[in-house]
Amino acid sequence: MKRICYVAVALVASTLNAIAHAEIDARAIAFNCRNCHTESSLDSKSSIPSLKDLSAQRIRQALLDFKYDKKPATLMPRLAKGYSDAELAAVAEYLSRN
Amino acid sequence: MAGLSRRRFLQGVAGFGAGVLSGCGGLPLRSGGKAHVVVVGGGFGGATAAKYLRLLDANIQVTLIEPKAKYITCPGSNWLFAGLTSLDQLTVDYQALQYRYGVKLLVDRVSSLDPARRSLRTLGGQSLSYDRLILSPGIDFRWDAIAGYDQAATEQFPHAWQAGLQTLLLARQLQAMPDGGVVLIAVPADPYRCPPGPYERASMMAYWLKQRKPRSKILILDAKRSFSKQTLFEAGWTKHYGYGTANSLIEWHSLADNPLLELNKQSRVLTSEFGDQFSGDVLNIIPPQTAAQIALQHGLTDSTAWCPVRPLTGQSLFDDFIHVIGDAAHYAPIPKSAFAANSEAKACALAVTSLINQTPIPEAHWLNTCYSLIAPEHGISVAGVYKLDAANAIMPVKGAGGVSAGTDGEAVALEADYTRAVYRSLMVDTFG
Repeated sequence: MKRICYVAVALVASTLNAIAHAEIDARAIAFNCRNCHTESSLDSKSSIPSLKDLSAQRIRQALLDFKYDKKPATLMPRLAKGYSDAELAAVAEYLSRN
Repeated sequence: MAGLSRRRFLQGVAGFGAGVLSGCGGLPLRSGGKAHVVVVGGGFGGATAAKYLRLLDANIQVTLIEPKAKYITCPGSNWLFAGLTSLDQLTVDYQALQYRYGVKLLVDRVSSLDPARRSLRTLGGQSLSYDRLILSPGIDFRWDAIAGYDQAATEQFPHAWQAGLQTLLLARQLQAMPDGGVVLIAVPADPYRCPPGPYERASMMAYWLKQRKPRSKILILDAKRSFSKQTLFEAGWTKHYGYGTANSLIEWHSLADNPLLELNKQSRVLTSEFGDQFSGDVLNIIPPQTAAQIALQHGLTDSTAWCPVRPLTGQSLFDDFIHVIGDAAHYAPIPKSAFAANSEAKACALAVTSLINQTPIPEAHWLNTCYSLIAPEHGISVAGVYKLDAANAIMPVKGAGGVSAGTDGEAVALEADYTRAVYRSLMVDTFG
């Protein structure tokens, strides 16, 4: 019984660790989105689009469109080209949940 | 696997969601209970570090030591010369950091540092010990670079390179100058705080002079051969200020081979190495810079007078428990900007929480975007995305970053709007 318990704990722990690593990598990039895309009432008159309530899929598609020059913008095409498609997907996932 | 301890399990959980499960990551720390991180310097680097440490792990106690109860931002301060802002609008306090994020604020100054004991004392008589120290102290000036230009001389000839009374003094001198007068801006060699700053300053002054004193001239005397966003600035100056014509409001001269060596305060004359003499009605001298005194005094700088760090964590090369971020630190090729300091602070906060909780340090990503106004409706930008190369040196990611692509009226108006919007959002992300 005790052994089963340890195995269960180990499984949960390794799953959480795996999630934690993906999560942390996304944060390292996504924190830098918040320099501009802040979600604050203090910034309600901003011309910078809010990411609030956007789905991961929408953010991901926008980032990929910026990266591959399918969506014109003044700044984002220059930034999105700095990341792999997988990194952009992870960032989109993170931003949709935080 | 069977030997996995409860503590390791909790470490894994704490790494996953520290905010939700705070209280589980309690490793033995020198302060006994909660980890204590002291952040010195309440500018963009220090304030961001303090806030993000608390966001990442509410179990970490964070003390921010800053001598001023309110902070006046350098970003945006050039807009004051065009009459587009005021010192009040550039001023922020630390209330949100204290009450929203639980950062302990100490309006005080560090008087001594004891790295061996991981402790410090303040002028106010406080004694603090830390598990990790993050220094974001900003810059100081080389008063020996231009003979005669010392601290006392700044009251007559402002540098205005730390925002506040110096900015106001320079604005008043500009306003008091006769039409047809000359403003001289002396610009140092790289590296220095805010590479495009002097050229935005010239632009904002030119915008104001064009309306009020159109016969005047701004003379930029530059220790460099070229400068940040030069093509975009010069195009904007041509469009708005007659750049390149005899009546141009702005002239730019490189003195890369003929540096300014001396200021005569009485005659208001700057003399270069070859004996060329320059004078003006307003002398704005931006001296070469170093890391702030606290870094110099405690052996955290190298021969360049900036602080070398391991970029992944921001740890000083001279002390594993001291991290240095912002303008004082050497993060080249990332420029010394408020935006970059904010980004460096986030990477540092992630690394510091990982070190404290003994979890893997995530790969570091940095971002910089510097907007400048050439006129109220004409903005330009330069951006860079940075990460570590195989040798653990910071490199700009190839194919990313660069300067504004669009230069038509619509694009520059949009970027002017973003210049102001990004300033506001950066303030919220850092202090709010």
